[in-house]
Formats: sequence, C-alpha cells, structure tokens
Amino acid sequence: MYYHSSFLLNFTTFFNTATISFSFLVACNRYVIMMDDSPPQKHRVLMVSDFYYPNFGGVENHVYYLSQCLLKLGHKVVVVTHAYGKRSGVRYMTGGLKVYYVPWRPFFNQSTFPTLYGVLPIIRTILIRERITVVHGHQTFSTLCHDALLNARIMGYKVVFTDHSLHGFGDVGSIHMNKVMQFTLADVSQAICVSHTSKENTVLRSGLAPEKVFVIPNAVDTAMFKPSLDRPSGSEIVIVIISRLVYRKGADLLVEVIPEVCRLHPNVRFIIGGDGPKRVRLEEMREKHSLFDRVDLLGAVPHTQVRSVLISGHIFLTCSLTEAFCMAILEAASCGLLTVSTRVGGVPEVLPDDMVVLAEPDPGDIVQAIQTAISMLPKIDPQVMHDRMRELYNWHDVAKRTEIVYDRALKCPNQSLLECLSRYLSCGAWAGKLFCLVMILSFLFWHLLELWQPADDIEEVPDVIFSKNCDEDTSQKS
Amino acid sequence: MLNAEQDIPDEVPLISKPFTVYTALELLLPTKLNIPGLWNFFLLNDVVGDNFSIRLSLTVFPYNSFDTAGRTEIIELIAMDLSLANNSSSPRPRWRKVAYGGMQPGYDDNHTDESFLEGMVMNASVVKRDMLKVMLDSVSISEYLCIVALVVLVWTCTLTTTIDENSLLFIDVSLLVSGFLILLFTQEMLSLSLLLHYVLNISFFITVLYVLAPIYQTLTRSISSDSIWAVAASLLVLHLFLHDYSESTVKAPGVLKNPALTSCISVNASVVASVFIASRLPSRLHVFGIMLFSLQVFLFAPLVTYCIKKYSFRMHLCFSISLMAMTLSFVYMLHRLLFVVLLSLLVFVNVVCPYWLIRIQEYKFEINGPWDEAKLCFDITD
Repeated sequence: MYYHSSFLLNFTTFFNTATISFSFLVACNRYVIMMDDSPPQKHRVLMVSDFYYPNFGGVENHVYYLSQCLLKLGHKVVVVTHAYGKRSGVRYMTGGLKVYYVPWRPFFNQSTFPTLYGVLPIIRTILIRERITVVHGHQTFSTLCHDALLNARIMGYKVVFTDHSLHGFGDVGSIHMNKVMQFTLADVSQAICVSHTSKENTVLRSGLAPEKVFVIPNAVDTAMFKPSLDRPSGSEIVIVIISRLVYRKGADLLVEVIPEVCRLHPNVRFIIGGDGPKRVRLEEMREKHSLFDRVDLLGAVPHTQVRSVLISGHIFLTCSLTEAFCMAILEAASCGLLTVSTRVGGVPEVLPDDMVVLAEPDPGDIVQAIQTAISMLPKIDPQVMHDRMRELYNWHDVAKRTEIVYDRALKCPNQSLLECLSRYLSCGAWAGKLFCLVMILSFLFWHLLELWQPADDIEEVPDVIFSKNCDEDTSQKS
Repeated sequence: MLNAEQDIPDEVPLISKPFTVYTALELLLPTKLNIPGLWNFFLLNDVVGDNFSIRLSLTVFPYNSFDTAGRTEIIELIAMDLSLANNSSSPRPRWRKVAYGGMQPGYDDNHTDESFLEGMVMNASVVKRDMLKVMLDSVSISEYLCIVALVVLVWTCTLTTTIDENSLLFIDVSLLVSGFLILLFTQEMLSLSLLLHYVLNISFFITVLYVLAPIYQTLTRSISSDSIWAVAASLLVLHLFLHDYSESTVKAPGVLKNPALTSCISVNASVVASVFIASRLPSRLHVFGIMLFSLQVFLFAPLVTYCIKKYSFRMHLCFSISLMAMTLSFVYMLHRLLFVVLLSLLVFVNVVCPYWLIRIQEYKFEINGPWDEAKLCFDITD
C-alpha cells in the first residue's frame, strides 16, 4: 500500500516535466521504489546516440538490447536521442528503460546539426537529474553523441564510446570524420569496437592506445529469429537477400550475380527484400534476363517481418562492400540459413567457417561461393544451426562484457582541465589549438550554467526499479 | 554437479615435474568430457599453460597435492571458465581473431594480439615520380598559359587600335584554317561527312555570332571600363584555375564521356570575359572579330593542343616552346613588368612546382587494410 501511494506521488512530478507513455505498465501490477540504496558497483549509464527506436538498424538494436540487458543486471540505464517526428519528450520502454527524445530535428542522415554547445544545458540537466556515472556514446556518424561526450568530459564524467562502422583514409569525408573522431576519442576513458577489424581501424584513426579499445561484438535475439518448424521442401532452393539496395551494400554485384546463378541452377529462386536507389537496376536486370518468376523484389521489409522472409529461404546472400560487423548475417544464421557473404571488413570474424561461405567481392567468386553453398545445403540442419547461434551470441554476455568496460572506465584517474588540454594540443598543429579552444569555451559555458542554474536546484529523479520479471509474477498469481 | 571421485581415473599419472594449475586442470578435463583420445594426448604432451595460472594468480603446484575436494573445485572452475568442449582439438586456448563465442577464455576483451594490424598495407599504390617527367608534363600547363596571354595581348592591341578590324578578321580566318588543318592531320578518321559536319557547324556558329554582335556591343555600356577590366581579369583567373589541362572540354565528335562541372564553369568564365571585353569596342565588325577570335581560342585551342599532344609528344613540345618564346617576345614589346611576371610564372610552373611535388612525395602516407571499401572490378553503366 505504501509503495503504491508513493509511486503516485512521483507519478505527478513526472507528469509535470514530461510526457510519459505508460501503456506497458498495465501488464505489471507491482512496482518497487528504491531510494538510493543500490550497491556501489552498480552503474548509472547514459546512452547517447542519434540512432534509436523507432528507426531500425545495427546501432539501434545494439543500444536497445544492451540497455535492456544492463537493466536486468541491475544497472540504471537512460537513453538520449533526438526527436523522431511526434515522438518527443520522455518515454518509457520495456523493462522501464527511460528514453529522452531531445526535441531537435535531424538535419542530415538522421543526425542532428552539430552545435557543440547547444546540447550542454540539456545534457547537463539529464546527467544531474539521473545521477549518471558513465556516459556511453554510440556511432561515429552521430553528432549528438560527439557533442554529448565532449560536454560530459568537460564536466568530469567517465566516457565510453562504441564505434559501429569502418572508415577509409582516402577521401575528404573520411579525413574530416577521422579528425572529429580523434577529437572525441582524445579524452575518452575506454572505447568499444564491434569487431577486431573495427578495432584496428579505430586505433589507426583516433590514435588511441590499443589497450583502451575493447572488442565486444553485437549479438542477436535468438528468441526472435527461430527457424521455421516446417522447412520449405522440394527441389527448389531459395536464396534470400535483405539489405538496403545501395552501392555500399553491393547491389551492383547482385545485378551481375543473379542472372549467372539462375543460368547455372534452374531450381534456384531469389527473394530480395529492401529498397534503395539501386532497385531500378535490379528491376532492369530482371527484365533483361526475363526472370520475373524467379526473382521477387519485395521492397522495404519492416523489421518485424524480417524473420518471416528469412525462413522462406535456404541460403542468405549479402554482397556488402564494407561492413564492420553485419548483424543481418547473425539474424539469418539464427533462422538456420546458410550464409554466403563477401570477405570484407569484420565479416570473416562473425561466424565459424562451417556456417558461412566467404567470397571475394567479385561476381565470379560469389557465383562459385553460392554453388559451394548449394552443395553444402543437404548437410545443414536449421535447428542445429539455431542452437549453435544461441551458444555463440547472447546479449546478456555482451552486457556483462560491457559492464567490465564500465568498471575499467570508472577506475580511470580524474584529470584536471590542464591535463586534458595538453592531450588535445597534441592532436595536430592547427586542429590541436582549435580543439583546445572548443574545450575552454565549453568549460566556461559549463561554469556559466552552474551560476545560472546551480546543480543543487536541479531535482533528482527517484529510481523506479520494476520488479525483475513482471510477467513471471503475474503468471504466478494467476 | 560433477562428481570428481567418479570421474577421475584410478591410475593418475605420476608426474614428478611441478605443474601449473592449468596443466592439472587439463589432465582432469578429458575424463570430464569423456574423450579418451584427448586423455592420451595430454599424457603424451607435457603442456604447460601460462595464461591461466597468471589469471588465477596461483603459483605452481605438483598435481598430487590436490585432494578430492580440491579436484572438484578445479573442475567447477573449468566448467565456469573454460568452454573447451567446442574446440577439443586444441588443448590450450589460443587467441583467435573471431567475434563469436563470447569472451575468449584467458584473454580480456582489450587483448591486443601480435596479429594486430597485420592486414595494414602502407603506400601500396604510391607511384614514384621522376623529376624530368613531371617537368615535361607541366609544359602543357604553361602552353595554355601562353595561349591565354596571347589572347589578352590581342584584346589590348584591339582596344588601343593597334590592330584594325581587317587584320583581326585575317587573324580569325588564318587561325580557323590552321586549326582545322591540324585537326584533320592529327585525327585518323578523315572523312567527307565529318568535314561537312565541321563546316556546317562552324558556318552556323559564325552567322549567329555576326547577328548577335550589335547586342554584345551595347551590352555593358552603362558599366565603367575599370569594372569591366577587373571582372574580366578575375574571370580569366577563374578560367585558368578551373581549366582541364589533361584533356579538352570540347570533345572531338564521337567521344562519350561528358566533361566535368569545373571545366564547364571554366569555359563559361572565359566566354563571359570575352563578351565583356568585346562590349568596349567601337564598331560592330570589331566586336564580331574579337568575339570570333576569343571563342575560337577558348573553345578549340585546348582541343587542338590535345590532338597535337596525342599525335606526337615531341611535336607538342616543339609547339609549346615556340609558343612560349613567341608570347614572351610579344609581351616584352608591350610591357617590361608584365614580361617579368609571365616569365617568373612560367618558371614557377615548369621548374619550381615539379621540384616541390617531388620533395613532398616523401610525406606521402597512404594506409590500406581490410577496413577499406571494396572496389568493384567492373564498370557500372547506369
């Protein structure tokens, strides 16, 4: 009874500050409010990324699942992202995961406009309100993440950064991005990469010590991607492709590969899910070789339907030209599909050799790999494959390994502004001085904010910890 | 739970040599996993693991010092820490460059192996350049500089009425004929239809220009001459800066490739500059003559020089050097200071820049590796 009333009290204060969607609470009928007696080793993590639900992708999934598993481990996790359409303000997701949708519009590629100091007031308020100990940023392309990490560093928070992508060193865009990376990572406590290749890349780009960079791969929710019980039988072999149809994902390779495979194997059919500028080329190819009955173009596939598309096939094909990790392979393997992929980036590290056939990014080699895969197919049992994936990849394992990184980050010594500045100064002849200037301005702005709105005046949020398994409790009661 | 007494075989090998904990664990492990082959393997191979003992911070024990309870404990430790069941072929966990299977036993996630950055290749596609070759290549830049200088020379002479309209038209015609002849001799495809095509186009071009000449003449009457000169000069600098020195913007017929945006801007800048200059002239015929001259040079000179260069490099060299000498002598007659400026510009382009390029070559640093985007080995024709 006491719990209920105090909860309602807090509920009203919540309402004053933000909009909340509480529909999921109907399922749970018991809340426990704990007032600051969590054990010291528990972290209070702020995840920052421009990429988050309602979008779907590698980074979005990573942030969501990692947060969920960290919550289960008893840590507090808060996510900050920019507003998506009408989704603005504070929302709660499954398991009491609190998400701040900062009301800024994305301006390019789902990223917010880089303002450097624009985010400082709101990030500072969130950091103080939620009594955060570790700030965890995701993805190089996320400007919100860079801004937040920079400001959190100036305020003396421990900072962890996860890199989800690979960059070259040749073109102008990459050179600029690498300089920004160097700036953000110059002072980061620990960094995480999703594959060993990605780690090599990040170390080279940012000049970070290799010991500071951890390799923690993505995982897959094997419960969501189960093989179908009744496998499509008959002599027909279905090859599934699910990717955005863009140059980087190797759509041009598909245009060369598909007619050749169709010519060699009359019993092969292709299902292509995904949309993009290269779709026209695929349609042209289908018309030119009159493969209307053998190549299905589904268009964009919503994430909830990916499994149903996957289980209709035997082989999963991905022709990406660059890939740090490739989560699609995991989802396909978890559905019991044999994967054929190009040997690029971190892909060779993702699966054991007997679960994937790798090929060079060359049409002839890919056709050969598909032939190898077709000959391997009778030996593949989807259920066995799924069970193996359950052993190999697990989000809980990812969360536990990330926990270690947080522990390490917290052990890093605190540094004064001068020590930080000397580190920034060494980033480059001109860039170093520019970085220092940015940091000093940020420092001044932070102190101005301290005067204007003292930290003591900012109300702290009481921790609402939902009992671990609402569903279990309800089922026990009923 | 595991029952240690039941699992351990009766005849435990008596090994006098001190073992690390890890080795002892491995001796127990095969029985636990019920793999007899492995058991023999361990007896034959005196494996001493170092990583594990360091991680547990336990020092060296003789195997026999474990009692049953101790053994049970160790087995439980294995069950927790080692997942050797999957790779039973290698008894000692070696670090592998893989992302699957969770944290690798005995290694932290920030472990950096010797194979780190193994796939990195530095300066793979860097071409060592030769000083002489770079100098010879830069001749085409100075050649075009001279051509533009000659055009400016003709402009100033016409404006100061050193050249009258008849000689201007004579220059136009002779340029047209000589350019035409060079094109015909250097290009292999010499046919009647092509000739007709050229003649038709050029006559159309000349007619339109003649009709438009009065408009050009009065186009910028309300603007002062100083502004016109300033704008024309800056447009010419823009033209030189964006000019495509490796090829010609106006293509020979039958070429598929489209010119780049920058070279189009360059051509347009030069055309606008010549219109501005033409608008300062006194008569219609002057305007027509100067417009025809500038357009001929700006549009077709790159094509002609390109054809010469393609035909024979030696001829290109001779042509360029004679052109340079001619331009320098003309400029010397006009103005001493301009002569010095042009000469130093030519030296800068032909000697200083190549030397500079060769010198900064050593700072070239190119990194390639498995993270690079793969290049497609075929052409995409959209």
